[in-house]
Amino acid sequence: MKKLSVRELLENQGIKIPPHLDEIERRWEGIQSLKQEINDANLDDADLAIRNIPGGDHVE
Amino acid sequence: MLSKKELVSKSVEELAPLIEKREVSSLELTEAVLEHAEKLNGEINAYVSFRRKKALEEAEKADAEIASGNYRGMYHGIPMAIKDNIYVKDEVTTMSSKIHRDFVSDYDATAVKKMREAGIVLTGKLNMHEYAWGITNNSPHFGPVKNPWNLKKAPGGSSGGSGAAVVADMTVATLGTDTAGSIRIPSSACGIVGLKPTHGLVSKYGVYPLAWTLDHIGPMTKTVKDAAGLLEVLAGFDKNDPTSVNVSVEKYTEQVKGDVKGLVIGIEEDFFFNRVDATVEKLVRDAIQQLADLGAKVEPVKIPALKYAEYAELVTSLSEASAIHHRDLLARPDDFGDDIRMLFELGELFTAVDYLQAQQLRRQLKQDFEKAFAHIDVLIAPTLPIVMPDIGDDLVDLNGEKVDLVENTIRFTGPANLTGLPALSVPCGFKGDMPVGLQIIGPAFKEGTLLNVGYAIEQTNPLKGKKPEILVSN
Repeated sequence: MKKLSVRELLENQGIKIPPHLDEIERRWEGIQSLKQEINDANLDDADLAIRNIPGGDHVE
Repeated sequence: MLSKKELVSKSVEELAPLIEKREVSSLELTEAVLEHAEKLNGEINAYVSFRRKKALEEAEKADAEIASGNYRGMYHGIPMAIKDNIYVKDEVTTMSSKIHRDFVSDYDATAVKKMREAGIVLTGKLNMHEYAWGITNNSPHFGPVKNPWNLKKAPGGSSGGSGAAVVADMTVATLGTDTAGSIRIPSSACGIVGLKPTHGLVSKYGVYPLAWTLDHIGPMTKTVKDAAGLLEVLAGFDKNDPTSVNVSVEKYTEQVKGDVKGLVIGIEEDFFFNRVDATVEKLVRDAIQQLADLGAKVEPVKIPALKYAEYAELVTSLSEASAIHHRDLLARPDDFGDDIRMLFELGELFTAVDYLQAQQLRRQLKQDFEKAFAHIDVLIAPTLPIVMPDIGDDLVDLNGEKVDLVENTIRFTGPANLTGLPALSVPCGFKGDMPVGLQIIGPAFKEGTLLNVGYAIEQTNPLKGKKPEILVSN
């Protein structure tokens, strides 16, 4: 599958392409480098720990 | 009789007994703070708005209550300005933005409600980084906040107006908000005390969100005891905040004694002492040694999941912030400052899988911290690995190398937001004319322990009684 560019990703979201597209691309590359770091993390069965509390936000 | 200059320079712990005994009135203190703040604001730009008339009325009311024997506690009659993303009923809250410039809330934030119950006088609203989404406080809409220690330097952010106002005596204490470090960063850069409490201890209802799962509200003060007292005012369960936790509120002020004998301090070298300004590192290690000299034990700890923290913080904060501002980003992108517009656009690029994996990483980080706290009482680290640069600089010096300012400012503060653990920043010295802070991170709801350790450091007089030059000449 073709990897979308930053420009294409923004256009898909309906966002007007900004004059600072280069800066977004540079920062996005940096984040993708950081993402490589998580490759060794064991995430297979790690529960998200996001709670869905039936009956309201504070039912104990 | 205290002069106005002496009066505004005092901490809450110094003022409270004077107000209680009616040796100083809330009205004369409030008038002195307002006069001083209005005079300095042209240079520091810490305030977005003043509430002079209302503040003086509130001060008179406080004086009348105290005169009739109804003294409510340490903060009764104390004048305070707060960050301008905290709602005050029927008054403008700008978030230092263009889009919300005229926004009026029809209710008080829970924190404001509690301030009123404590008898605090509200003097005004403080400048901040637009929507709290940045660390420089260089606002395109309300102008830059200047660091009182050196007017060319940034105060840190996003609660930069709060940090500058406290150290310049423009408020006696204040509230900040913290999503990636926004209480602790300006506290470190301005040489004051800043506490990010445990997530859920202080209600964030009525605070404009930056990233719901990372947002906190907390005290920024002149002293550790002031922070402990303000936390007592703010803490407590609130059904209006879905993340509020129903725990009992402790008497934090009673836990601030400075006795650290037998306490175990953890030092994590791989993450928190990696790529740190040499002077900052020395000051933090010296402070740890001073605690050891007072009888604390120092133990090395490992927190392996810290290597995922920066990625998890970026994915979570950028995604949540972009969700909040998505509609305005589509409809009126030019109304945002360039820097935050870029961050909102960046946050649109992540997938749902990226966000959910970041939440898995957060849980791993929480578990690693929990394991570490089985062996230690607190962890001590630099608040910032750098010292704030000139206003307008996007790069900052790190041991002779120019590095990205934003990335390096939130690197050590972000983990406490991801985990929700409490973290306290206290001053530990100077690099040149700029203050340096260290942060004390502890187990959930152990704010009393953090404040006690912070107080022990404070007793070593790390700032040597120095004041910003602007206070000497004004």
